[in-house]
Amino acid sequence: MDHPIRIVLAKVGLDGHDRGIKVVARALRDAGMHVIYAGLWQTPEAVVRTLADEDADWLGLSLLSGAHMTLVPRVLELMKQANLDNVGIMVGGIIPEADIAKLTAMGVAKIFGPGTSLDEIVGFLKTPREPKP
Amino acid sequence: MIAALLDRLRQGDRNALARLISLAAQGEGLAELQASLAANPRSARVVAFTGSGGVGKSTLIGKLIPLVRSQGHKVAVLACDPQSPLSGGALLGDRFRMGSSTDDGVFIRSLAAQSGHGALADHLDVMIRLFETVGFEVIFLETVGAGQGDVEVRRFSDVVVLMLQPETGDDVQWEKAGILECADIVVVHKADLPTTEQTAAQVRAALDLSPARHVPVLRVSTKANTGHAELWQTIHALPLRRQHATAASLLLESAIAWFKERYQAAESRHDAELVKLIEAWQRGETPTEIAAQSLLNTLTRAKP
Ligand code: B12
Ligand SMILES: Nc1nc2c(ncn2[C@@H]2O[C@H](COP(=O)(O)OP(=O)(O)O)[C@@H](O)[C@H]2O)c(=O)[nH]1
Ligand SMILES: [Mg+2]
Repeated sequence: MDHPIRIVLAKVGLDGHDRGIKVVARALRDAGMHVIYAGLWQTPEAVVRTLADEDADWLGLSLLSGAHMTLVPRVLELMKQANLDNVGIMVGGIIPEADIAKLTAMGVAKIFGPGTSLDEIVGFLKTPREPKP
Repeated sequence: MIAALLDRLRQGDRNALARLISLAAQGEGLAELQASLAANPRSARVVAFTGSGGVGKSTLIGKLIPLVRSQGHKVAVLACDPQSPLSGGALLGDRFRMGSSTDDGVFIRSLAAQSGHGALADHLDVMIRLFETVGFEVIFLETVGAGQGDVEVRRFSDVVVLMLQPETGDDVQWEKAGILECADIVVVHKADLPTTEQTAAQVRAALDLSPARHVPVLRVSTKANTGHAELWQTIHALPLRRQHATAASLLLESAIAWFKERYQAAESRHDAELVKLIEAWQRGETPTEIAAQSLLNTLTRAKP
């Protein structure tokens, strides 16, 4: 059955930069997706609980604070514990080049930095994915 | 697939509950779900919060959750936001206002309500039954806004809380739209704002025009943190409509409310047929029995 893509958008940790995530939220809605906006200052535990209860297809995290190398692995670990490994995860914000490969290796599907066009993000989500092994 | 999910649900698997709610939302396997859940008792108290966007429904629910939890009840929330009729997309932001929690006794689900389907998402009855199966004692429904579709809200819930706020200048509007009729409790929210007393007095006066039904009017401020305990007490003191009502009486009540909603819409657009019909009846040219039937025909044919 064809249902709209459900995606949870959240900011973890103390990072207060929420312009980017709000822009992305609106673009995804306008592209026909159901966007669950969880907002600022979420703990990894709360994000994963939201993801589970909302039965989302995707999680999108936005990090501009530099804390991504501790917070993203924590979220991935909790997702595994909650049997949510099948949910896709993408990350946006300020992520240095060197960390992109590391996060991808951990299981992040794609990372979007500053200046990414909204069409690119929509296009990525609308492209059918290969199922995770 | 549904049978397996229901098995997992009964063993307390939270992900199975989440999946089943999605299936219900998409209208998949409804017949099977309804059949396997029909025998469950209506054990939950379902409380609907309705009122214009921005009145503070989500914020208020967020405040009630810990209060209800402190009394030991498990609480589920079904929060509806509108879906765009053009793109089919939706920005579901209620949960953000309700505050985050990792408490196993709290389950919040955001739902998109399709335009033209009333103020709620589809198939809420099935979702309510799913929550009841796993022991949620309190279920909060958040509508997309007051007005159209309130009839359905009443059908799904034990208690309807209508929320209004001071200083909106739309007091005339709510009186005209007849939305007070659907309310079991009226909350004047944001009671930290000036003119709260005037608004509460206006609502009281409007309600007193139909003295047969006693509807409490409460002042609540989530910002100033006042009135929540009294609101919950008042909600809790009301009878469980879904449990006591027979299907027939629910239908009758819904039908009457539907009828009134249609009537008010026809009246406000000065429907010519309606005017003619009323005048003929008033002059004594048509007996009530015939007039009632013509009225029903007119309202059924008319677009809402
Ligand atoms: C505006 C801004 C602020 C505003 C934020 C307002 C707000 N509510 O968002 C204010 C002034 C409050 C602010 C404060 C601070 N800031 Co500032 N801020 C910026 C600035 C200039 C622009 C960010 C922005 O809004 N961009 C516009 C949006 C649309 O772009 P974006 O967020 O990058 O999002 C795009 C992509 O990244 C991606 N994306 C983002 N999220 C997501 C999520 C998903 C799921 C997807 C798919 C894509 C995606 O898509 C978007 C569209 O292309 C950046 C510098 C920069 N050029 O990025 C610094 C910057 C982010 N800030 C920085 C800092 C240090 C701070 C402060 C700590 C400064 C201080 N000492 O007080 C504070 C911290 C505030 C806090 N509580 O966290 C640093 C961070 C350094 C780091 N990470 O190592 C930066 C990089 C500046 C710098 N070069 O030093 N800041
Ligand atoms: N002054 C005041 N503002 C409030 C109160 N409760 C909520 N708000 C604000 O009202 C706005 C809308 O709240 P929200 O819960 O999203 O409303 P909803 O659309 O009815 O769900 C938010 O900006 C809240 O901060 C209150 O008690 N007093
Ligand atoms: Mg809301």
